[in-house]
Amino acid sequence: MILRITVYLILAFLLIPLALIVLFSFNASPSFTFPITGYSMRWYAQIFSDPQLGSALWKSFWIATLTAIITFLLGAAASLAWLRLGRKGRTVLEILCITPIALPGLFLGVSLLVLASQVGVQLSMITIVLSHVVLALPMLMIAMRARLALFDPNLEEASRDLGASQVLTFRRVTLPLIAPTLISCAVLSFALSFDEFVVTAFVSGTETTLPMYIWSMMRRTVTPLINAISTLAMVFTIAIISIALAIAAMKRATNLSSRDVA
Amino acid sequence: MSPIIEITDGNKAFGSFKALQDINLSIAQGEIVTLLGPSGCGKTTLMRIFAGFESLTSGSLKIDGKDVSNLPPEKRPVNMVFQRYALFPHLDVFENVAYGLKVKGIGKDEVRERVRNMLRIVQMDHLQQRFITELSGGQCQRVALARALVNGPKVLLLDEPLAALDLKIRQHMLTEMKRIHAETGATFIYVTHDQDEAMILSDRVVLIDRGQIVQVDTPQDMYNRPNCLFSAKFLGETNILHGTIVEDASGKSAFRSAEGSFHYQPTNQIASKSAAIMSVRPEAISLFAENPARDNAIPATVTDVLFTGSRSFYHLVSDGGEALRAQVQNTPGLNRPNVGDRVHVCWPHDGSVVLPASPSH
Repeated sequence: MILRITVYLILAFLLIPLALIVLFSFNASPSFTFPITGYSMRWYAQIFSDPQLGSALWKSFWIATLTAIITFLLGAAASLAWLRLGRKGRTVLEILCITPIALPGLFLGVSLLVLASQVGVQLSMITIVLSHVVLALPMLMIAMRARLALFDPNLEEASRDLGASQVLTFRRVTLPLIAPTLISCAVLSFALSFDEFVVTAFVSGTETTLPMYIWSMMRRTVTPLINAISTLAMVFTIAIISIALAIAAMKRATNLSSRDVA
Repeated sequence: MSPIIEITDGNKAFGSFKALQDINLSIAQGEIVTLLGPSGCGKTTLMRIFAGFESLTSGSLKIDGKDVSNLPPEKRPVNMVFQRYALFPHLDVFENVAYGLKVKGIGKDEVRERVRNMLRIVQMDHLQQRFITELSGGQCQRVALARALVNGPKVLLLDEPLAALDLKIRQHMLTEMKRIHAETGATFIYVTHDQDEAMILSDRVVLIDRGQIVQVDTPQDMYNRPNCLFSAKFLGETNILHGTIVEDASGKSAFRSAEGSFHYQPTNQIASKSAAIMSVRPEAISLFAENPARDNAIPATVTDVLFTGSRSFYHLVSDGGEALRAQVQNTPGLNRPNVGDRVHVCWPHDGSVVLPASPSH
């Protein structure tokens, strides 16, 4: 009984702030106090009339998209390597790919900033994307490792044995089997990148992403506009994660070749 | 007829580990040959060399008269059935079987025709559109066979294909395998560590131990005339006596051990006075309540009786302290000895095989 109450309390603690944000985003008055006097969509209307906000949103979208694509490609390559490595090689690959997850975002941000300045790279969208890839790849590798451990290496040999070259084997056997996990991980990378703040703050230079814009708004005044933006971002992120989970849940990849059964 | 597979002076090393040594073997078109041996003996490595997944460190391998040392697996006229089937989980039964034909670019109609025909042979034509995850172990086995055989391989390689099945299905699949072999006429090379599978299925058995071929023979010959202690013990059960070869008064060779002198029909040339072992199969042994006054009879005591219906297995200890096993047919009305009874253990001259005592294996 006590256990159950504890669980409910924890859930409430996690979810009530989110619910409040959603609630106040529809509040007619700009104050964050109960009782709520009326409902309106004015804050949502304001979002779409703010050009700076639009530009930040657009940038975040592109950064997240690029991050997802690059993570997907690197993840596919790393997965292929993982399948071909021995136990030692796999451990090394895992240590290299997964370690960044253990680093606090603050240190990661500082070190990426130092790296960029040492190499002489201008802080820009590019550095943001690369930093997000560094964040997303470990997550992808953890998910892929679980999937790849179930991958029967004999499948690739069977394909070769049946006359398919290495390239054809990748296209017709390996890729279809690892693609659902890879795609769902890429979608999750998108979500991760879309609302990343800590690392981005270090490597963004003059660029402003959506989370950074919200942060800068907060520093001036706490406006109810933030509630509306946050609600939209939340809905968007939940949608993305649902898509990712749905793809991952698809046990059976789509049948590659179409065939008419007489 | 020229052999379909011929391996000459084959050696395979993984680093300093010699997986296969001095392999010489030729297999004729249409044969079922089993590579038999304990796990880790190199039989699977040999099969993977045939398939092209491993290459010989030295020696030559010819398939159908052509040297295939430099051919990748996809260019060899062989197909393999994997131990855990390795069926493609993202394809259905039809697509699995069609895979080999499709990657070779064979026309749609021919693919359909050949796949259907092969599925009929393995009796899976009613489950064409099932996904692999929806099949039982025995059904997976049939699909794996069809997927390999549909390509019309010169040689079908089977890597312990029944190991993952339970006993009942395994026995049924053995008969099926023989039928499918007869229907397709392909050469089968079958890897197993199971002596029963090897004896039931094969035209010839290749017995391998620690990377070397020990004996190549028909199952009957290998069972009845093992050429070394390893062969005698690996195929079936046997009683091993240690002793020396002597010449008796009449100049005939005899085997003398602590139990006494035994006569035998020489199958191997063993010099007189040299150490030897005698292998006596349990089913060659007869038990007598009284001394039968024959050659090769020694007194013993029954220590255990295992009744299995048609046969009983007797555990005995000879007066000389040797543990022996006998297998006796349970003929109705026969008086059977019980635990603790004194009996005479006896076997005919041709019921034993005498082998050199210091065999290479």
